[in-house]
Amino acid sequence: MQNESIIDPKIIEEILKFSKNVIEAPKFVSAPDEINLEVTPHKVVQQIDKTRLLYYKPITKIKHKTPLLISYALINRFHILDIHPEKSWIRNLLEQGFEVYLLDWGIPTSMDKYLDFDDYVNGYLDSSVEYIKNKSSIEKISLQGYCTGATIATAYTALHPENIKNYIATAPVIDGWKDTTVISNLAKHMDVDKMVDTIGNMPPEFMYYCFSVLKPFEQGIEKYIKFFKNIDDKKYVDNFLRVEKWLGDTPPIPGELFKQWIKDIYQKNTLIQNKMHVGGELIDLKKIDMPIFTQVAIGDHLVSPECSMPLHYAVGSNDKTLKIYPTGHVGMIASSFSQKKVLPEMGEWLAKRS
Amino acid sequence: MQSKSSKNLAESPKDMTEYYKHLSLFWTDIIHLMSSKPQALTSIGPMRAFAANSKKIAVELIEINENLLGFNQYISEYYKQLSSTWEVAQKKVNLKAPEIPQDVEQIEAMKRIWIDIFDNDFTELFDSKQFGENYGNLVSKELELTKHWNNITNVILQSVNLPSKEEVDEVYKEIHSLKKRVSKLELELKKEKRKNAK
Repeated sequence: MQNESIIDPKIIEEILKFSKNVIEAPKFVSAPDEINLEVTPHKVVQQIDKTRLLYYKPITKIKHKTPLLISYALINRFHILDIHPEKSWIRNLLEQGFEVYLLDWGIPTSMDKYLDFDDYVNGYLDSSVEYIKNKSSIEKISLQGYCTGATIATAYTALHPENIKNYIATAPVIDGWKDTTVISNLAKHMDVDKMVDTIGNMPPEFMYYCFSVLKPFEQGIEKYIKFFKNIDDKKYVDNFLRVEKWLGDTPPIPGELFKQWIKDIYQKNTLIQNKMHVGGELIDLKKIDMPIFTQVAIGDHLVSPECSMPLHYAVGSNDKTLKIYPTGHVGMIASSFSQKKVLPEMGEWLAKRS
Repeated sequence: MQSKSSKNLAESPKDMTEYYKHLSLFWTDIIHLMSSKPQALTSIGPMRAFAANSKKIAVELIEINENLLGFNQYISEYYKQLSSTWEVAQKKVNLKAPEIPQDVEQIEAMKRIWIDIFDNDFTELFDSKQFGENYGNLVSKELELTKHWNNITNVILQSVNLPSKEEVDEVYKEIHSLKKRVSKLELELKKEKRKNAK
């Protein structure tokens, strides 16, 4: 019996504990549907079609005169910016004394398949900017764009520089040819005309596929093993479920907008070359001459830093700052790191100019 | 009633050609009209439209089969790429990991090696031109299949006097264009009012 291998009792113990956690999980953990993702109090101040302009109730005295409008991404919903009271991007900005508005793009339906960049840039975003200017009786506001929302915000800022005092681009999708992510590889080989002509809007299922090819084993297996292992850790579980719920809530993208985005950003790469047109007008990034703060994450596997950073060098502004953070796409906006490092730095920069 | 072609039959070779062209067209049309009668006889009321369009459905079904061949080719290549990558990654894991983990730490280390190698190899695959092209073709074939299905559905919709996808799209397009014009006018008006208020 010399060759008999001895199994460490700890292995059996681990397996039993894991099985127990899986069985007992529903007793302790809420179902994602039971979780409310809109944590910071806000009101809808303007509604156009399916879009909503949200105004967040100040939680401290407003210290800065210029309000901030956030243009969230087209992928998933805006809730990631307010995912948890302790990791809320919005709450942190309110605590720093900023007046915060957010443009929720809503959930497009088949009827919205003809909405294009022009509708988003010169329609919804412009209407929101005009509303805030009117409400606050000011000539210019601060604008922040995140991910694809930053592509829209960049186009807007270049077309309407007279309305923007400060521009913050967080992980902006700008130079598609330099993007090194797998998403850009899929986008480059996509027959987007056929997709839009056949099914109208970009279906959420396609986006779920794109998510599934990003670190498939870490995100598809290890993440859930960790979840069941840490089922006793209330804070961890709560945060996990909130992010999971957010990840599973992807609205379709209007067909025409998606077509233009894939062609102009990933296939022809016109935005960075100052060749992109929106509503018949040419977007010249040199016209972005106001203070600009660009934030990129080294570990971003959705929008690679190489895709975002060219904005910093392409704009016409003399007052420009580029910050590179050792985190990921979501980590930059909804993590303890973003609360401790990203937001204070952004707040300091914005406060000086607001 | 005598046709122009038959009246000039003997006049020139050119007229002769015209005559035979007319003759061929005459019989083609007559046969077509005659053959559609039994088809009409077997259909009643709204089903008449469906029967008349049944040829369109048959054509779509034939084309679906052609597309299915292409689809199968790309989906086989898709799974071939996944399984080859899996095989190579597993070999790399086997070289690095101990055969039978002896304790919890070893299991954890083995899992980490497995995940890292698999994530790296699969990311490399998804990032490759070969994968991108095949995936693009696969989705394109899937869309062609959807398109044929849409066309078949349109025939059915028209047979029950409902608008087709194209007709609904036309309405959406018109609504979009009208809304765009109205919102631009509203925005201009607001801006103008603000200017005047100053």
